[in-house]
Amino acid sequence: MKKILIFLLFFSVSLSVMADAPKGIIKVSPRIAPPLSLMNMDGEQFTLSTNKQRWHFVHFWASWCGPCRREMPTIQRLINGMEKDNIGFVIVNTAESEDVIFSFLGGVAPDINTLLDTDGLATELWKPRGLPSTYLVDPDGQIQYVVIGGQDWHKSQYQDFLRQLSTRNK
Amino acid sequence: MYSRFAYQATHIIILLLISLQIMAAPPRHVVENPNIKMVVIPRTAEQMAAFYEGREFPAKAIDATRDACFFTIGIHNKTQNILWLNTDNWSITTKTGSMSLLSREHWIQRWKKLNLQQRFQSTFRWTLLPNTLDFQVDEREGGNITLPRTNTPFTLTARFATGQDKNGEPINITFKDLRCAEDTPQ
Repeated sequence: MKKILIFLLFFSVSLSVMADAPKGIIKVSPRIAPPLSLMNMDGEQFTLSTNKQRWHFVHFWASWCGPCRREMPTIQRLINGMEKDNIGFVIVNTAESEDVIFSFLGGVAPDINTLLDTDGLATELWKPRGLPSTYLVDPDGQIQYVVIGGQDWHKSQYQDFLRQLSTRNK
Repeated sequence: MYSRFAYQATHIIILLLISLQIMAAPPRHVVENPNIKMVVIPRTAEQMAAFYEGREFPAKAIDATRDACFFTIGIHNKTQNILWLNTDNWSITTKTGSMSLLSREHWIQRWKKLNLQQRFQSTFRWTLLPNTLDFQVDEREGGNITLPRTNTPFTLTARFATGQDKNGEPINITFKDLRCAEDTPQ
């Protein structure tokens, strides 16, 4: 009986680890994430390569992009819902002024503290498919998943998927 | 009595506003089939100027955009495989010949001459349609294409390769009688 229980437990854990990524999240051949070292809105420096203990959700956005505007409140809800999970959220604004960013985020997602890619060069290095673009980077600094277009991040399937990732090394 | 008049007047004003909005909306050209949806929206110089002014672009850069004709393109891959965008495979033809899209390189050189700050160059680039992109299943992306401003109507033929190795049946989409959008005289 004990063996059966252990088997069932192992089987269910395996299933959950192998669960498919939700719609819009695509597994890619792993590649080293480009450098990312920027100031946030509070003037604090963030460097991705020195934050290797966990997965990172790296999101590029601009206030002029319609899907970014629709998506940002859902990202805030996602972040709020995953405060206790071991995953880092790195939000990068592409080439906008602080005034534009403040007034936009103040209206739709006041808790989000974005990094400021003031000249847009960091974004260029990451070569997003478009804006918005999101990458899921593993603790070794490798891009494992890219996300196509805007998503309803607050929905449970996305949180569940990210939660699973946060417990994996790769 | 007064409230009934106000009720009717409100209705008339709302209908008028809706009509004005419909009249002011730019024409959308849409081709949709089981494999792809493609939308082309001509943008007037004023629309583009307003967009870039809102992004704090300097006047010299906004003036430069007025020389070009902007079209916003939206593409949705409805195939069950990769749809390959490569704007080098697109053609623009008029009754008398052909035209070329203004390339990204054209804009880079233009901005260099104007000493445009890097952040504005970056934003401008992001508002353009990528030259190449492997559209994944159900992916939707978009952006602007630009060409020299002209009064001549033209045909845009967009060719897409399909399939993992681009060996699938190609898709050709044609938009006839496209025109640069003109601002309404004040």
